[in-house]
Amino acid sequence: MRAPTIAMLIVGLALWCGQTLAQPWQPRYSADGLYNLANSYARAGKPGLAVLNYERASLLAPDDADINANLEYVRASAHVATEPRTRFARIAQAANPTLAAWIGVLGIALVGVGLLARKLAPRFQWLRAGGVLLGVALIALTVSNAMLLWPRMHEAVVLINQTPARVSPVPMGDTAFVLREAETVTITAEHEDFILIRTRGGLSGWVARANLGTVVPQLSEPPPP
Amino acid sequence: MRTRPIHWSKVIVAILGLIAPIAIAIANAMAMADGMADAALAYETMEPPRIRLGDSAMIRVTSLDGYLKNVPLPTVPGLTFELLGRSQGLEFVSGKSIPSTYILIRVTPQFTGLFSIPGLTPTSRSLGLEVVSGDEPNPYALHSHNQFPQPLKVSPAPIPKGIQLKAGGAAFVQLVIPTRAVYVGESVPVDIEVGIRPGIVTSMNGLPTLSGTDFTLNNLSKQPKRSDQVIEGSPFAVMTWHSVLAAVKPGDFSLSVETPLSVKINTHSAEDIAIAARMGWPFLQSMYNGIVPKDITIASPSSALKVLPLPTQGQPKDFSGAVGDFQVSSDISPARVAAGDPLTLRLHISGVGNFDRVDSTMFDRLDRWKTYPAKSSFTPSDAVGYKGEKVFEQPLIAALPGEQTIPGLEFSYFNPNTQHYERAHTQPVKVMIAASLADSSLSALAAAQSLNGAPTNQSARGLRPDHPRPQSSVSEMRPLYFQALFLAVPATLALILAGSWFAVRPNPARATSKSAERALAQLDAAAQSGDSSSFFEVARTALLHTFAVRWQMSPDQITVAELKARLGPAGEDIERLCALADEAKYSDYEPGSTDFQHWLRLIRGQLTGERE
Repeated sequence: MRAPTIAMLIVGLALWCGQTLAQPWQPRYSADGLYNLANSYARAGKPGLAVLNYERASLLAPDDADINANLEYVRASAHVATEPRTRFARIAQAANPTLAAWIGVLGIALVGVGLLARKLAPRFQWLRAGGVLLGVALIALTVSNAMLLWPRMHEAVVLINQTPARVSPVPMGDTAFVLREAETVTITAEHEDFILIRTRGGLSGWVARANLGTVVPQLSEPPPP
Repeated sequence: MRTRPIHWSKVIVAILGLIAPIAIAIANAMAMADGMADAALAYETMEPPRIRLGDSAMIRVTSLDGYLKNVPLPTVPGLTFELLGRSQGLEFVSGKSIPSTYILIRVTPQFTGLFSIPGLTPTSRSLGLEVVSGDEPNPYALHSHNQFPQPLKVSPAPIPKGIQLKAGGAAFVQLVIPTRAVYVGESVPVDIEVGIRPGIVTSMNGLPTLSGTDFTLNNLSKQPKRSDQVIEGSPFAVMTWHSVLAAVKPGDFSLSVETPLSVKINTHSAEDIAIAARMGWPFLQSMYNGIVPKDITIASPSSALKVLPLPTQGQPKDFSGAVGDFQVSSDISPARVAAGDPLTLRLHISGVGNFDRVDSTMFDRLDRWKTYPAKSSFTPSDAVGYKGEKVFEQPLIAALPGEQTIPGLEFSYFNPNTQHYERAHTQPVKVMIAASLADSSLSALAAAQSLNGAPTNQSARGLRPDHPRPQSSVSEMRPLYFQALFLAVPATLALILAGSWFAVRPNPARATSKSAERALAQLDAAAQSGDSSSFFEVARTALLHTFAVRWQMSPDQITVAELKARLGPAGEDIERLCALADEAKYSDYEPGSTDFQHWLRLIRGQLTGERE
């Protein structure tokens, strides 16, 4: 009975690995590469593209001092307001998202093993309790990290100066307000070639997709040079 | 005297010969009277006779003699007729009311002009309709109490020089060109005049065209300038087009223009008309009623034009074919930009000439600037585009900051007035290119903060340098915990742990092992000291506690029967041990050392799960 089950598991694992390897080659991103690219755009006088790539680099390495300094620098140069990070955000984003993800897995393992050990053997209660508490803390750290990063998954940067935000998703729609280049906005909806955005000031309007760059690259976006 | 016999047959013939012409004359007179009656009893009117393009006029056919049959709708090029219906009413003639029948027809024009609508009833006259463009004064102002219609300016004139009346004197066309020699490629203003007699020329079937292929003529407007003249005592509507002509090759040419018309041409000979005139108006009227419009094309008299080739001597290398008299100027905006920002250089070329040959090759010398394709726009200052201004907009980008100079632009053309090639040029333009947006803005920010006494921001020192070549990379920008593939890892781990938590049960033996070891130690101590009372009491307590944990019940609920049922023969030994414990406690029973060892093995076996 066990042998067929193990065989099926192995076959399933092999199929999954094959499917994963058969997927098309995806572009490679690195925090340093994006940072250097952003520096190039900043030197070329393109603050929108510079901020976009700094934001992307910051997503991969949130605690990198150079990225944050240059991001602040270019935003200030483009006269775009910046919001200082709260202490909670600084703590939660101390670890990069990849590390935070594995910390969360470790936390789940600690909590699970602690609860299991309590059932198996009643000894070393303080050790078990400590392990469970540590696991919960690690999971909380990961969840906080994810919660803080979740809004950035739906953020975009204005690439063109004086980009009009229209009241309706049509090219001839009336202009509700005008966006400054390098301004960061939140995506709330999409319709064909237009994106409904909300500014940090609470204004909403439809902006042409070509005038925005999403912080998390779209699948159709070409890889970075 | 002999009388001759009367031949009655001759008498009858003579009488018939006299009566027949009289009868025919009477019949003709009756027929003519019927025709006059028809003419008097059916007629049509049209209101208004002058409308704007886009409006409609109404034809009302009135019959004073009972029911009126349907009338055939006429066919006039440029007019659309639509039968709206019929109605009945009363007409008051000389104080008497006469029952009448009406037929209403709507007339909608398709273009402006003078139209002649043939009569709809056999004896009615043709109707005239004038259609003006939409931007002309409201023709309905005729009915206004405050505004009276402006009479058309009619100027009596003999036949102008160069005009030849065509189509039986009903129309003419004339081409007015300069008398001097022109150069190849030179744009020359020309006028084309077409005069028509309203009522005789029913419509113009197209715009005038130039005969020959050696010249190009700009597109003619569909709304020519219109005036009215009297030529040789007849009113003419004269339409004038202003255009520009250009020759494509040198030589002596003869030019003329043609225009298609629909004209009512009388095809009867002069003798026929004279006979009809002697027979009276009914015959003459019937002759004219038979005239139908005919499509013809009339041409203007030929005009001679000499076309000279452009001189090859002194022709500049950058000459693009522009012929005329031009002036150039330039400007740039904005005058101060940041490095990398675009600025626009505008070159204005104004004057008269063939602006279509003025191109943007003068921008080719801006090799120290990054350029994009130039755009051009032409703003004519006359109706035909002979005079005006052409503006070229050239986007430029400076890569380096500092004061930059845009060199002067040169433009070569041939001036037919001076008959020489000339060169117009602009002055060099200086532009201040600031540092890039980021650096300049940051400097201003830092300067402002320093002036306020605040410490300069760390970022104000400028962009931090690039990082070394990246060592690691990821294929997905989305963090791991937002990737479905990774989420399978903690999910699987949590499932395994949860499954284990449910699958694993606590081991009762392990839970009691520590207390059992403690009890066995006490038993050993009691056995060595020979304290049977303590030995059996500790043994009974430890066994009952162990059995209670193992069987998930309270120690008080364990009875002898329970022991025997669960332990079998060993239950009897446990029962005896309990009895000895009572005896030792209450009667000072002292078992031997052999007995202690026996009971120790039994108790250890039960506590640790081992069997003897």
